Amino acid sequence: MVVSVLAADDDLVFKALADPTRRLLLDRLFARDGLTLTELEAEVPELTRFGVMKHLAVLEQAGLIVTRKQGRHKHHYLNPVPIRLIWERWIGKYRDRPVTALLDLKDHLEGRS
Amino acid sequence: MTAATGNATQVYQLYIRAGQQEVWEAITDPAMVARFFHGAQVESTYQPGSPLRSWSPDRSQQWGDNTVLECDPPRKLVHTWRGLYDPDQAAEPESRVTWEIEEQPGGFSKLTLIHDRLDHSPRTAAHVTGWSYILSNLKTVIETGEPLSPIV
Repeated sequence: MVVSVLAADDDLVFKALADPTRRLLLDRLFARDGLTLTELEAEVPELTRFGVMKHLAVLEQAGLIVTRKQGRHKHHYLNPVPIRLIWERWIGKYRDRPVTALLDLKDHLEGRS
Repeated sequence: MTAATGNATQVYQLYIRAGQQEVWEAITDPAMVARFFHGAQVESTYQPGSPLRSWSPDRSQQWGDNTVLECDPPRKLVHTWRGLYDPDQAAEPESRVTWEIEEQPGGFSKLTLIHDRLDHSPRTAAHVTGWSYILSNLKTVIETGEPLSPIV
Protein backbone atom coordinates (compact mmCIF):
# COMPACT_ATOMS: atom_id res chain seq x y z
CA MET A 1 0.00 0.00 0.00
CA VAL A 2 1.39 3.35 -1.01
CA VAL A 3 -0.15 4.97 2.06
CA SER A 4 1.87 2.83 4.45
CA VAL A 5 5.12 3.76 2.73
CA LEU A 6 4.17 7.39 3.03
CA ALA A 7 3.81 6.77 6.75
CA ALA A 8 7.52 7.42 6.91
CA ASP A 9 6.85 11.02 5.89
CA ASP A 10 7.60 13.74 8.39
CA ASP A 11 4.45 15.63 7.34
CA LEU A 12 2.15 12.94 8.70
CA VAL A 13 4.05 12.82 11.99
CA PHE A 14 3.95 16.60 12.46
CA LYS A 15 0.23 16.71 11.59
CA ALA A 16 -0.55 13.85 13.94
CA LEU A 17 1.37 15.51 16.77
CA ALA A 18 -0.29 18.89 16.13
CA ASP A 19 -3.50 17.78 17.86
CA PRO A 20 -3.73 17.86 21.68
CA THR A 21 -6.10 14.88 21.84
CA ARG A 22 -3.71 12.74 19.82
CA ARG A 23 -0.81 13.80 22.04
CA LEU A 24 -2.96 12.80 25.01
CA LEU A 25 -3.57 9.36 23.49
CA LEU A 26 0.17 8.92 22.94
CA ASP A 27 0.83 9.88 26.56
CA ARG A 28 -1.72 7.31 27.71
CA LEU A 29 0.05 4.62 25.69
CA PHE A 30 3.41 5.87 26.97
CA ALA A 31 2.17 5.22 30.51
CA ARG A 32 0.48 1.93 29.68
CA ASP A 33 1.24 0.40 26.31
CA GLY A 34 -0.70 -2.18 24.33
CA LEU A 35 -4.22 -0.96 25.17
CA THR A 36 -7.29 -2.09 23.23
CA LEU A 37 -9.78 0.38 21.77
CA THR A 38 -12.14 -0.18 24.70
CA GLU A 39 -9.36 0.46 27.22
CA LEU A 40 -8.28 3.62 25.39
CA GLU A 41 -11.88 4.85 25.37
CA ALA A 42 -11.93 4.48 29.15
CA GLU A 43 -8.69 6.49 29.38
CA VAL A 44 -10.25 9.47 27.57
CA PRO A 45 -13.91 9.51 28.68
CA GLU A 46 -14.42 12.95 27.13
CA LEU A 47 -14.18 11.39 23.66
CA THR A 48 -16.71 9.21 21.85
CA ARG A 49 -15.69 5.80 20.55
CA PHE A 50 -15.81 7.22 17.04
CA GLY A 51 -13.58 10.12 18.11
CA VAL A 52 -11.00 7.79 19.60
CA MET A 53 -11.03 5.61 16.46
CA LYS A 54 -10.60 8.64 14.20
CA HIS A 55 -7.60 9.89 16.14
CA LEU A 56 -6.06 6.41 16.37
CA ALA A 57 -6.32 6.09 12.58
CA VAL A 58 -4.35 9.34 12.11
CA LEU A 59 -1.70 8.19 14.61
CA GLU A 60 -1.43 4.79 12.94
CA GLN A 61 -1.10 6.30 9.48
CA ALA A 62 1.75 8.47 10.77
CA GLY A 63 3.41 5.36 12.17
CA LEU A 64 3.18 6.66 15.75
CA ILE A 65 1.16 3.67 16.84
CA VAL A 66 1.39 0.09 15.64
CA THR A 67 -1.48 -2.35 16.13
CA ARG A 68 -1.03 -6.07 16.80
CA LYS A 69 -3.77 -8.66 16.99
CA GLN A 70 -3.70 -11.12 19.87
CA GLY A 71 -6.63 -13.48 19.81
CA ARG A 72 -9.80 -11.46 19.43
CA HIS A 73 -8.21 -8.24 20.63
CA LYS A 74 -6.34 -5.55 18.76
CA HIS A 75 -3.66 -3.89 20.88
CA HIS A 76 -2.24 -0.42 20.26
CA TYR A 77 1.46 0.16 20.83
CA LEU A 78 3.25 3.48 20.89
CA ASN A 79 5.99 3.44 18.23
CA PRO A 80 8.65 5.99 19.25
CA VAL A 81 10.81 5.56 16.12
CA PRO A 82 9.17 8.31 13.97
CA ILE A 83 9.73 10.78 16.82
CA ARG A 84 13.37 9.70 17.00
CA LEU A 85 13.70 10.29 13.24
CA ILE A 86 12.15 13.76 13.64
CA TRP A 87 14.56 14.40 16.51
CA GLU A 88 17.54 13.49 14.36
CA ARG A 89 16.32 15.46 11.36
CA TRP A 90 14.89 18.56 13.06
CA ILE A 91 16.16 18.84 16.62
CA GLY A 92 19.49 17.10 17.17
CA LYS A 93 21.29 18.89 14.38
CA TYR A 94 20.27 22.32 15.64
CA ARG A 95 20.86 21.57 19.31
CA ASP A 96 24.54 22.42 19.49
CA ARG A 97 24.37 25.40 17.17
CA PRO A 98 24.82 29.00 18.35
CA VAL A 99 21.18 28.92 19.48
CA THR A 100 22.45 27.20 22.64
CA ALA A 101 24.63 30.21 23.35
CA LEU A 102 21.63 32.50 22.89
CA LEU A 103 19.57 30.42 25.31
CA ASP A 104 22.42 30.59 27.82
CA LEU A 105 22.46 34.37 27.39
CA LYS A 106 18.68 34.50 27.87
CA ASP A 107 18.91 32.44 31.05
CA HIS A 108 21.78 34.56 32.28
CA LEU A 109 20.04 37.86 31.66
CA GLU A 110 16.67 36.72 32.97
CA GLY A 111 18.27 35.18 36.02
CA ARG A 112 19.98 38.48 36.79
CA SER A 113 16.92 40.66 36.44
CA MET B 1 4.13 8.86 33.45
CA THR B 2 7.40 7.10 34.17
CA ALA B 3 5.30 3.94 34.43
CA ALA B 4 6.11 3.47 30.73
CA THR B 5 9.37 1.93 31.85
CA GLY B 6 7.37 -1.07 33.00
CA ASN B 7 5.73 -1.89 29.67
CA ALA B 8 6.14 -5.62 29.15
CA THR B 9 5.77 -5.52 25.36
CA GLN B 10 7.39 -2.82 23.28
CA VAL B 11 7.00 -2.35 19.54
CA TYR B 12 9.32 -0.39 17.25
CA GLN B 13 8.63 0.01 13.55
CA LEU B 14 10.14 1.88 10.65
CA TYR B 15 10.41 1.91 6.87
CA ILE B 16 13.79 1.48 5.24
CA ARG B 17 14.52 2.27 1.61
CA ALA B 18 15.97 -1.17 0.81
CA GLY B 19 14.79 -4.64 -0.17
CA GLN B 20 13.87 -7.31 2.36
CA GLN B 21 17.06 -9.29 1.68
CA GLU B 22 19.25 -6.23 2.17
CA VAL B 23 17.67 -5.48 5.55
CA TRP B 24 18.00 -9.13 6.57
CA GLU B 25 21.70 -9.12 5.71
CA ALA B 26 22.20 -5.92 7.66
CA ILE B 27 20.78 -7.40 10.87
CA THR B 28 22.64 -10.72 10.54
CA ASP B 29 26.01 -9.60 9.17
CA PRO B 30 28.42 -8.93 12.09
CA ALA B 31 30.22 -6.17 10.16
CA MET B 32 26.91 -4.35 9.62
CA VAL B 33 25.67 -4.94 13.17
CA ALA B 34 28.84 -3.34 14.51
CA ARG B 35 28.05 -0.23 12.49
CA PHE B 36 24.57 0.37 13.87
CA PHE B 37 24.73 -1.29 17.31
CA HIS B 38 27.31 0.62 19.38
CA GLY B 39 30.19 -1.24 17.65
CA ALA B 40 29.05 -4.60 19.05
CA GLN B 41 31.07 -7.66 18.00
CA VAL B 42 28.50 -10.38 17.27
CA GLU B 43 28.94 -14.12 16.71
CA SER B 44 26.20 -16.55 15.66
CA THR B 45 25.43 -19.18 13.04
CA TYR B 46 21.78 -18.01 13.22
CA GLN B 47 20.54 -21.60 13.51
CA PRO B 48 17.58 -22.11 15.86
CA GLY B 49 18.92 -23.16 19.26
CA SER B 50 22.40 -21.81 18.58
CA PRO B 51 24.03 -19.07 20.66
CA LEU B 52 23.99 -15.41 19.69
CA ARG B 53 26.86 -13.80 21.55
CA SER B 54 28.06 -10.23 21.56
CA TRP B 55 30.96 -8.27 23.01
CA SER B 56 32.05 -4.66 23.38
CA PRO B 57 34.04 -3.25 20.41
CA ASP B 58 37.40 -4.18 22.03
CA ARG B 59 35.98 -7.53 23.25
CA SER B 60 36.91 -6.67 26.83
CA GLN B 61 33.30 -7.08 28.01
CA GLN B 62 30.60 -9.54 27.02
CA TRP B 63 27.34 -7.73 26.22
CA GLY B 64 25.09 -10.65 25.41
CA ASP B 65 24.91 -14.45 25.63
CA ASN B 66 21.59 -15.13 23.93
CA THR B 67 19.93 -17.96 22.01
CA VAL B 68 18.42 -17.93 18.52
CA LEU B 69 14.81 -19.11 18.93
CA GLU B 70 13.63 -18.84 15.34
CA CYS B 71 15.27 -17.94 12.04
CA ASP B 72 13.32 -17.58 8.81
CA PRO B 73 15.42 -15.59 6.32
CA PRO B 74 14.74 -12.98 5.08
CA ARG B 75 11.55 -12.49 7.08
CA LYS B 76 11.90 -13.24 10.76
CA LEU B 77 14.53 -13.59 13.46
CA VAL B 78 13.69 -14.31 17.10
CA HIS B 79 16.23 -14.45 19.92
CA THR B 80 16.44 -14.17 23.68
CA TRP B 81 17.68 -10.99 25.32
CA ARG B 82 19.55 -10.40 28.52
CA GLY B 83 21.82 -7.38 28.89
CA LEU B 84 25.14 -8.44 30.41
CA TYR B 85 26.57 -4.90 30.02
CA ASP B 86 24.73 -3.82 33.18
CA PRO B 87 24.65 -5.95 36.40
CA ASP B 88 21.09 -4.79 37.22
CA GLN B 89 19.79 -5.99 33.85
CA ALA B 90 21.91 -9.14 33.87
CA ALA B 91 20.21 -10.16 37.14
CA GLU B 92 16.76 -10.03 35.52
CA PRO B 93 15.07 -12.92 33.65
CA GLU B 94 15.71 -13.08 29.91
CA SER B 95 13.26 -11.40 27.56
CA ARG B 96 12.64 -11.89 23.83
CA VAL B 97 13.37 -9.88 20.68
CA THR B 98 11.55 -10.50 17.38
CA TRP B 99 12.65 -8.87 14.12
CA GLU B 100 10.09 -8.95 11.28
CA ILE B 101 10.90 -7.68 7.80
CA GLU B 102 8.13 -7.17 5.24
CA GLU B 103 8.71 -6.19 1.63
CA GLN B 104 6.80 -3.06 0.62
CA PRO B 105 6.09 -1.54 -2.80
CA GLY B 106 8.39 1.14 -4.12
CA GLY B 107 11.63 -0.46 -2.94
CA PHE B 108 10.89 -0.19 0.78
CA SER B 109 10.93 -2.68 3.63
CA LYS B 110 8.95 -2.42 6.83
CA LEU B 111 10.98 -3.49 9.85
CA THR B 112 9.14 -4.25 13.09
CA LEU B 113 11.02 -5.04 16.28
CA ILE B 114 9.03 -6.47 19.17
CA HIS B 115 10.73 -6.70 22.55
CA ASP B 116 8.46 -8.68 24.87
CA ARG B 117 8.42 -11.01 27.87
CA LEU B 118 9.62 -8.04 29.91
CA ASP B 119 7.02 -8.60 32.66
CA HIS B 120 9.61 -9.42 35.31
CA SER B 121 12.46 -7.34 33.90
CA PRO B 122 11.55 -3.71 34.67
CA ARG B 123 15.12 -2.38 34.46
CA THR B 124 15.62 -3.98 31.07
CA ALA B 125 12.21 -2.65 29.97
CA ALA B 126 13.34 0.86 30.91
CA HIS B 127 16.62 0.56 29.02
CA VAL B 128 15.55 -1.07 25.78
CA THR B 129 13.80 2.11 24.70
CA GLY B 130 17.22 2.68 23.11
CA TRP B 131 15.94 0.57 20.19
CA SER B 132 14.68 3.86 18.66
CA TYR B 133 18.26 5.06 18.30
CA ILE B 134 19.55 1.66 17.14
CA LEU B 135 16.88 1.29 14.46
CA SER B 136 17.17 4.81 13.13
CA ASN B 137 20.92 4.22 12.99
CA LEU B 138 20.30 0.99 11.05
CA LYS B 139 18.11 2.93 8.59
CA THR B 140 20.81 5.55 8.12
CA VAL B 141 23.57 2.96 7.62
CA ILE B 142 21.53 1.06 5.01
CA GLU B 143 20.26 4.13 3.15
CA THR B 144 23.38 6.30 3.22
CA GLY B 145 26.25 3.97 4.11
CA GLU B 146 27.16 6.18 7.06
CA PRO B 147 26.19 5.74 10.73
CA LEU B 148 24.73 8.55 12.84
CA SER B 149 26.91 10.42 15.30
CA PRO B 150 27.35 8.45 18.52
CA ILE B 151 24.88 9.32 21.25
CA VAL B 152 26.23 11.48 24.04
